[in-house]
Formats: sequence, structure tokens, C-alpha cells
Amino acid sequence: MAYIEMKQIVKKYGTTSVLKQINLDIEKGQLVTLLGPSGCGKSTLLRCLSGLEEVTSGKIFLDGQDITELEPRKREIGMVFQQYSLFPNMTVAQNVAFGLKLKKKSEGEIREKVKNILEIVGLSQQADRYPTQISGGQQQRAALARAIITEPKVLLLDEPLSAIDALLRRSLQNEIRRIQQELNITAVFVTHDQSEAMVMSDMIHLLYQGQIEQSAPPAEMYLHPKTRFAASFIGNYNIYTDVQFHQMTGLKLDREMLVFRPEAVMFCDPGRTEMNSYTMKGTIKSEIAHGNVLRYTVDVNGVPVNVDTLFQGEERYEKGQECYLKIAEKDCISY
Amino acid sequence: MALLPFLVVALLYEIIPLIMVIMNSFQSDAGTGITLENYQTIAEKLLYQKAIFNSIRISLISSLGGIVVAFLGAKAIAESKGKIANLFMTILNMVSNFAGVPLAFAYMVLLGNAGFMVHVGQKLGISALADFNLYTSDGMSMIYIYFQIPLATLLLVPAFAGIRKEWKEAVALLGGKEGLFWRKVGIPVLMPEILGTFSVLFANALAAYATVYALMMNNISLLPIQIAGSYVGEVKTRPGLGGALSVVMMVLMCLMILLTNRMSRHFQKGGNPS
Amino acid sequence: MKKKTKATTFLMVLIMAYLLLPLVVTIVYSLFQKWTDIVPEQFSLGSYVIILQDKEFLLCIVRTLAACVIPIGITVCIILLAMFVTTVYFPSLDKYVQIICMIPYTIQGVILSVSILSAYIRAGSFLGNRLVMLFGAYSVIIMPYIYQGIKNGMSAINVKVLTEAAEMLGAARMYAFFRIIVPNILSSIVVSALLAVGIIFGDYVLVRNLTGTSFQNMQIYLYQTMKSDSTKASAVFVIIMLITCLITAVTLYLKNKEREK
Repeated sequence: MAYIEMKQIVKKYGTTSVLKQINLDIEKGQLVTLLGPSGCGKSTLLRCLSGLEEVTSGKIFLDGQDITELEPRKREIGMVFQQYSLFPNMTVAQNVAFGLKLKKKSEGEIREKVKNILEIVGLSQQADRYPTQISGGQQQRAALARAIITEPKVLLLDEPLSAIDALLRRSLQNEIRRIQQELNITAVFVTHDQSEAMVMSDMIHLLYQGQIEQSAPPAEMYLHPKTRFAASFIGNYNIYTDVQFHQMTGLKLDREMLVFRPEAVMFCDPGRTEMNSYTMKGTIKSEIAHGNVLRYTVDVNGVPVNVDTLFQGEERYEKGQECYLKIAEKDCISY
Repeated sequence: MALLPFLVVALLYEIIPLIMVIMNSFQSDAGTGITLENYQTIAEKLLYQKAIFNSIRISLISSLGGIVVAFLGAKAIAESKGKIANLFMTILNMVSNFAGVPLAFAYMVLLGNAGFMVHVGQKLGISALADFNLYTSDGMSMIYIYFQIPLATLLLVPAFAGIRKEWKEAVALLGGKEGLFWRKVGIPVLMPEILGTFSVLFANALAAYATVYALMMNNISLLPIQIAGSYVGEVKTRPGLGGALSVVMMVLMCLMILLTNRMSRHFQKGGNPS
Repeated sequence: MKKKTKATTFLMVLIMAYLLLPLVVTIVYSLFQKWTDIVPEQFSLGSYVIILQDKEFLLCIVRTLAACVIPIGITVCIILLAMFVTTVYFPSLDKYVQIICMIPYTIQGVILSVSILSAYIRAGSFLGNRLVMLFGAYSVIIMPYIYQGIKNGMSAINVKVLTEAAEMLGAARMYAFFRIIVPNILSSIVVSALLAVGIIFGDYVLVRNLTGTSFQNMQIYLYQTMKSDSTKASAVFVIIMLITCLITAVTLYLKNKEREK
């Protein structure tokens, strides 16, 4: 029996189905991510787990107990919201202490625990500040501290970094992951940012239109997307119809679509054919540096192919130059 | 549950009285059941016709006057940042509490029969001032305009926040002068707020009682005076007639609201970005 | 640009002068014994001395202010409770609460006073009591302002997120509403309460029609005085204006402090 089990979850608003028969298991101590585009239902699923939304049908089990009918405040679940969840009329320390106060812990115990947790999240200096006096990143760290100080069974995070600017987001991702692992907290993270999911998770559940498209660890999901949607959402796959594939290679495809990763296709010498590979001839259309990756777009008989190489700075192809590409069959996935 | 106290109070002091007034209007004062005679009386008797006509007239005049001044004033506030604007706003807030008996008294001191301005007018030979009669419907419109101005200005100031300077700049670059901007862009854009404020002013003026009563007591033909007079006073109370008059007043207010709503929809192209 | 600033300033000064004129003239009137010509004569504070020593007058002030406290207290409590229900349990009912709160805008003054009068004048001891009718009427006329104040306060903070966060931390909904939401909208409540004080303080029509002259508030006192002794009345006037200005000043100060936050 998994630590968290969500069985046959259906959620409807009126006649619209937002969640269609979701089945999900989460193991203790893991950080799993619910990933997907807006409207896929990931936040709704999280809120059903928290109790802030009621499921239309289905059951939720936490640590062996059926919590489907339980009020949010009785579920022992902590939650970090996207923004503005700190109580403006209380200091950081008072905010963090809130949950413990409700549990009627002693003054001394509260003070001790607040001190510790503020150190863990790096906010010891801001203890007596008000939420309006600290930055967005600090606010979210305070919200995190407030949610975990009561030692909840599960920690839920609803797109906590979406309102944070990009540079800060990276370091907060690392911090959240570090704290989660140190304290061995079971956490469920919701995001629409696939690179965020890749960086942080033990397990990714990809949602689309109210259903789970694929559940896999990050590497697995990146290398082997199971559905067309997964391929289009994860990474930067080159996606081709069978017509386009024929245009590129002259070969016939017995499926509808074929995809491969831009770093899996490579430049090669002309005239070389290899076993179990497709070779193509094309012309360089453009060359754009994305940080440490140099992306070429190659025109192969009218079909654009993205080719990613590490930006070494030495040999570079030029626009208009002729080139040859090869891609191993095993690196292609067809649907 | 917790809604109960709210509903009880609202019911007792808002809804029930309202319903009773409407019901009363259909009941004869002589006590003979449902009848339209109260409305008939209003339609026939010159006294009531005059009251209604005077009330509408003074409300329209004061609302128009008030809104013109308020527009200019609010525009001035929106276009200046300094101390004067702040002072202006403070004074507007202060003066908006001025209405009622104190206002009537102050105007008596100012423009009454022995009033200061009247003396000035006599001394300087300005007949408009010297012969000014506060105690007529026209004389009182001065007071009405007075208390409409702060209310209207305070209501309009926030609306000007929606006038983007980019629009003014665009008109200027296209060759238009400021007056053109306001005529073609500014005022049309603000029309919903202007109309809304106008209807508030109208209701405010229509229902004004204290100020008028303090000056004239029952000796003037205005709707609120007549209404109060049918309920309170030396003569026998006539709740039926008073109810009918009240209904007339409420209908007038509602008509104005509907009218301004209809007109403002015409100006709200594509919905309000607010 | 310069010309425009001059013109706008001139306009504002003009309007301010127009608005302040009656006020200034009456203040001057209260400070002088004789004023038949352009220039007043005989400066004296006598009127002020008289009324400030008049027990009746002082009682009046107290009575008027006391009459503000009860209705405001009642209305704030009932609207808070009502909005608790609509924000937390039945958001769809908020529309109706708003309509009920906004109706007094249209039936203010005369109509409200006479309608309450005719409804309860013949009722039993409690409802027919003049003071009860008056306080009930006051509670209703300040509803739009208190409602708007609470509403504005709540839209400045993210009520939904705060309530949910409190719930996840273990708080019951009522606890969350009264211990977290309310403290954060307190300043809005105070501002609208002060507005309500201004309104009740300036009321004449309700007091007169509902209580006749048995409950003498400031406005009634002024009315009675101005019929007999206008110099004395002008002193009363000034005192009323001072109190009203004080209330306005405090309100504006609090509003600005709120905005700075």
C-alpha cells in the first residue's frame, strides 16, 4: 500500500469533467510533480488531495486512512500557495508559529521550533519583519516554513515559484528540494514548467485534459515519452508526420508520427550509411545560441530539423552550407 | 445562521417600511380599502403637481450645475499634483458634511434678507445680489448647487484616473488641441461615470429635506416637504397620500437611474476595462 | 504647460472660495455683535461663552455622539457576520447582500423616516419606542457605507488564499475569518465607521420625523436656536463645523495612512 493513494478520482463542475478517473500512488519520502499545461487539472487534483475541493467521486487514502470525507484542517497536510498567502497582519515569526499555536503547543516549544525552522529556510534575520517588508522569494520561504513546522504528513506546493523571477527560481528549486530531502518529507509539487519538474522530482505525473498521460521518473520521461502529447510537452522534440518523414528520408513510415530529440541527431560525413540509422542531406537554415547549446535548424527537403550541439565555439557550420545528418533508429519514437 | 441578525435588521427597518409605504399608497385615508384615489389626488391637485414639478426642476438644475462644476474641479485635481490639489480635496471632504440645517443657516447669513451678500449688493449697486430672494425655489437652487458640488466632485475624481495620458499624446500628435481631446475622447469615455454621478446627484437633490425645511418649513411646494407633511404635523396624518407621494419620488429616482443606465450603455463600447 | 497649471490652480481656488464663503461669513458673524454694514463691529466671544456653559447644549453634543455609537456597532457586527457567511459559504448570496445594503442610497432621508414611522408608530412597546426606531433607521442608512468599507478592505487582501492557508494550518473557518481577515480590514472598517459618524451627526430629517423634538440632537438644537437668536446660532454652527471637520480630518488621516501601507 502506497503512502498516498488516489483511486478513480473524478471531479466535475456542473457537466464539465475536469478530472477523469485519475489513479495515482505516491510513495513516502518522495517529491512527485504534477506537470501539465494550464487547464489540464493538475491544480484541481492537488486541491482535491488537500481537501479544499471535494471530489465528485473516488477515494483518497493517506497513510492507510481514508481521508476522502475529511475537512482540510483535519488531514495533517501542509500547503504552500502560489502567492500572497502570508497573513499581512503578522510578522514572519508569528506567521510561522500560527499552526503550532492552533495545536496549543507551549510557548517555549513554539519559540524553539520557529527558531530552528527559520534557520533551515534561511530567514532568521527576517523573523520580526512583516510580509510586505520582505521579497517574494523570502515570502515563499516563510510560507514553506509555516507549512512544514507542524510536521505534516504531506506537503503540497501549488506552483509556488511561478510568481518568482527566473534567476531566483533556480536557487529556490534547489532549496526546496534540499529541505524536502533533509527532512524526508513526502511532497507533491504542481508546475507547468517541465524543466522545473525535471530538476526537482523523483517522479513526474504528466497530466493532459484531466487524465494522466504518463507517470515516470524524469530521465525516463525525457528519453521515452509515451504519447504524442508527452513528446510535444517534454524537452524540445522534433516532431514529424509520416508525410514529412517520407520527404526527409524517402522511406515509408507505418505509423502516423515520428519524433526524436535534437541532441540525438548528429552531423556526419557525406555518403556514410550506417546500420539502423537514417541519413539525410540538408542545408543549414539558421544557427542560434541558447546559452551553452548551439541549435541549428537544417532544411531537409523542405522539412526543418533542429540539431542541438554543445557550444564548443570551434567548428561551426554556416548559413546556407550543405550538411549530412544521421539519427539512430533506436533514438526515434513513433506513434 | 450568522446571516440572521443582518436579515432581521434589514427586514425590520428597510424592507417592511418600504413595503408598507407602497401598500399605504393604495389605501384610502378615510379607511375604505384598496383604491387609487391617492394617486388621483396627486394628479389632480395643483399643489402636488407643483411640488413634483418644482422638485424635478430644482433637482435637474442643481445636478446639471453641480456636475459641470464637478467635472472642471475633478479634472483640475487630476491634472495637478501639488499642495493645492490636496487642499482642495480636503476642503471638498469637509464641506460635503455641510449639508442640512447648518447649510441653510449659513446661507441665511449670507444671502438672507439681511444677509452679507445682500448688503454688499446694495452698497455696490449690484441688483442681482441686492434683490436676491433666498426664499424662493430659484433662490434655493443656489443652496442645492452648493451641496451638489462636493459630492459630485468626490465621485468623479476617481474616474479621471482612467484617462490615459497616452490618449492625450496621441491626439496632440495627430494635430488636435486640448478642447478637441475632451470633446471627442475624454468626455465620451467618462460618460458612464458622469451619467452615474448625475443620477446620484438627482436622487440627492430630490430627497433633500433638512436644508429646505430649515429655511422654509412647510411653506414651499417641494416633494419631500409634502411627504413629511402628510405624516407629521398639526393636521391629521394622511399616510395614504404620503405613501403615494413617496412612491412617486421613488419612481422618479428609478426612472432617472434607468435613463442614465440606458444612456451610459451607449457609451460603453466593448465593456469596461475596469 | 505653465499656462495650464495657472488656469487649473485658479479654477480650484475659485471653487474653494465659493465653497468656503458661507462658512467664513458665518464664522465672522459669530464673532461680532453687530453686522449691519459691510464691516462687522464689536468683536466678542460672548456667544461661545454662553453656549459652552449651557448644560443643555453640552448634553446635546453628548447625546448626538452617543447616538452614533450604537447603530454603528450594530451595523458593523451584522454586516461582518453576513459577509462571513457570503465569503466563506455562499459566495452567490453576496449579490443579494449588496442589493440590500445599497437600497438605503435611494430611500434615504424623508422616505425612510416616514416609512419607519408609519410602520411602527402603533406597534408595541419595543418596536414602537421612538429611540428604537431611530437607531434602527440609523443602522440602515449607514449600511451602504459600512458595506462598501468592508468590501473594499476585503478586496485589498486576498481573502480566498488567506482563508485557505489558515484552513490548511488547522484553523476552523470562523477562526480564520475573525482572527485573520477582520484584523486586516480593521482600518477600512474604522474609516467607514467614521464616515457613518459624520452622517449620523449631520442627520436632521430622521430625528425630527421619528422622535419629534424629544431627542434633541445637534441639528435640532441649531434649528431651534436659529429661529430665536442668530448670533448664538452661529456659534452653535461653528461648534458643529469644528466637530465635523475633526471627524473628517481623522478620517482623511487614517485613509492616507492606509494608502501609505
